[in-house]
Amino acid sequence: MSEHILQTKNLSYSYPDGTTALDDINVNIKRGQTTAILGGNGAGKTTLFLNLNGVLKPSSGNVIYGGKSIEYSKKGLTALRQAVGLVFQDPDHQLFSASVYQDVSFGPMNLRLSEEIVRKRVEESLIKTGIYDLKDKPTHCLSFGQKKRVAIAGVLAMEPEVLVLDEPTAGLDPKGVGEIMRLLKEMQQDLGFSIIIATHDVDIVPLYCDYAYVLDEGKVAMEGSPNEVFSKAELLRNLHLRLPRIAHLMEILRKNDDFEIGNFASTISQARKEIKRWRENLRLVNK
Amino acid sequence: MINIDTFAYNSKLKDRDPMEKLLFTFVTLSVCLWANSIIISLTVLLIMTWSTIYGGGIPRTVYFKLLLIPMVFLIFGVLAVAIEITPQPYEFLGSISFFNFYLGVSKAGLITATQLFFRALGAVSCLYYLSLNTPMIDVMSALRKLRCPKLLVEMMSLIYRFIFIFITTAETMIIAQSSRLGYSRFMSGYRSLSLLISSIFIRSYQQADKIYTSLESRGYDGELNVLEKSKGYISTGYLKVLGINVFLVILTFII
Ligand SMILES: Nc1ncnc2c1ncn2[C@@H]1O[C@H](COP(=O)(O)OP(=O)(O)OP(=O)(O)O)[C@@H](O)[C@H]1O
Ligand SMILES: [Mg+2]
Repeated sequence: MSEHILQTKNLSYSYPDGTTALDDINVNIKRGQTTAILGGNGAGKTTLFLNLNGVLKPSSGNVIYGGKSIEYSKKGLTALRQAVGLVFQDPDHQLFSASVYQDVSFGPMNLRLSEEIVRKRVEESLIKTGIYDLKDKPTHCLSFGQKKRVAIAGVLAMEPEVLVLDEPTAGLDPKGVGEIMRLLKEMQQDLGFSIIIATHDVDIVPLYCDYAYVLDEGKVAMEGSPNEVFSKAELLRNLHLRLPRIAHLMEILRKNDDFEIGNFASTISQARKEIKRWRENLRLVNK
Repeated sequence: MINIDTFAYNSKLKDRDPMEKLLFTFVTLSVCLWANSIIISLTVLLIMTWSTIYGGGIPRTVYFKLLLIPMVFLIFGVLAVAIEITPQPYEFLGSISFFNFYLGVSKAGLITATQLFFRALGAVSCLYYLSLNTPMIDVMSALRKLRCPKLLVEMMSLIYRFIFIFITTAETMIIAQSSRLGYSRFMSGYRSLSLLISSIFIRSYQQADKIYTSLESRGYDGELNVLEKSKGYISTGYLKVLGINVFLVILTFII
């Protein structure tokens, strides 16, 4: 078992109309971790995800799952799609049935599981995503956030090894963002899958992610732990992104207001720790 | 159509076995058409109205408003049957002469017309019973159980889902257009409408493409295999269907 569950090697992809959406991408996704794919609009995040799931076939380069290059045969693709579950950006592009229950059952049914097992999985993922009470409602009567949960439940029911989510928090209210992210992290702890999320919402990255890639015009522009990536503010701004609010505040405090804060902080708890430490230092100096 | 849909999801009969409701609708409908008697038609109308309003809890005003919709067509259709044009005044209850023709109503014609009117109304009430009390999803699952061709049911379910996506899209686009005064004058309204229609067409194409991609990523292989929610239905309802219809048939023979 290799350390990386999913990798791409020199992956390039051009759309039939000639747009080069991905250009020589090398990404390594560690088992059991949460990886963020950052990038502005049109950077290539969605295209990358479609390649990871085998919906699009690379123009050149490879997608490697569990140490092996994926096969684009029917059998290979079925295996890949079970292992790598993709939740789409817009739930209306994913939910095809007017019935929540039917939609969630679609994925596991395609895995040719017995009816009993499918029912069990459907019920479980409806409960885990907190939408069990909605199972009798028609899809078109749900709110956006609820549809998003149904979309996630539909992929969870396939019990993937890697859960790939395209903008899971876009269009959600602040409470919804927290809920969805916590939900994902809890499920990750229970089930041990790896998560990849595409997002422009930089604030969630230091909170929930272990590693981050920044894409720009189809290339990997930066990579590293969230703090490594966010410590390069200038570079990030050139890539249509910004710092997390807290990191920005800390940057201003350090640069403009002469706070001598040593370590980089991009979440509330990190910042709190750093500021407390700074205060202790100040007290010691004053004594 | 949208309203009927929301009523169906809120009906008190929503959780009844859809097969039973389907059977009740179509067996009663057939008996109503076959009997061709005013009394039977009225009985059917009564039973169905009662089942929908008291059984399903559909607001009375809504139900009668809905019943008014086919009434317009019915009245015109029935008038065409009732009124005859002949060169001679022939057994007419009343008539007007008109150059060399007589426009009139005969007793037989009047009876046929009344029979037709109530028969159609009875049939409509049967269909309203089904559509106001049965969510579309359930109708489709019943059709599936009845071994309706798979492709047909799949198409129905996709179309049903898409209708709502497009209505929402169209609504948002119309609002966006009107907020930029797209419909303020006749000519600009005309142009906005044509833009709306063409962009809905393009959107539907893209939407279909996107849905296909996402289906593929979940392992779609040409068949939309899904599971229905399992509900423990009780089968006493079938007895009711049988009972009511046997009663109607016997009533037809008595009168
Ligand atoms: N079906 C398509 N045909 C042609 N070009 C496409 C197609 N889909 C995307 N592109 C192009 O590929 C590039 C990458 O698009 P992609 O959708 O992967 O971006 P993204 O990072 O997901 O952006 P966003 O944050 O807006 O979702 C863009 O330049 C886009 O215009
Ligand atoms: Mg995208």
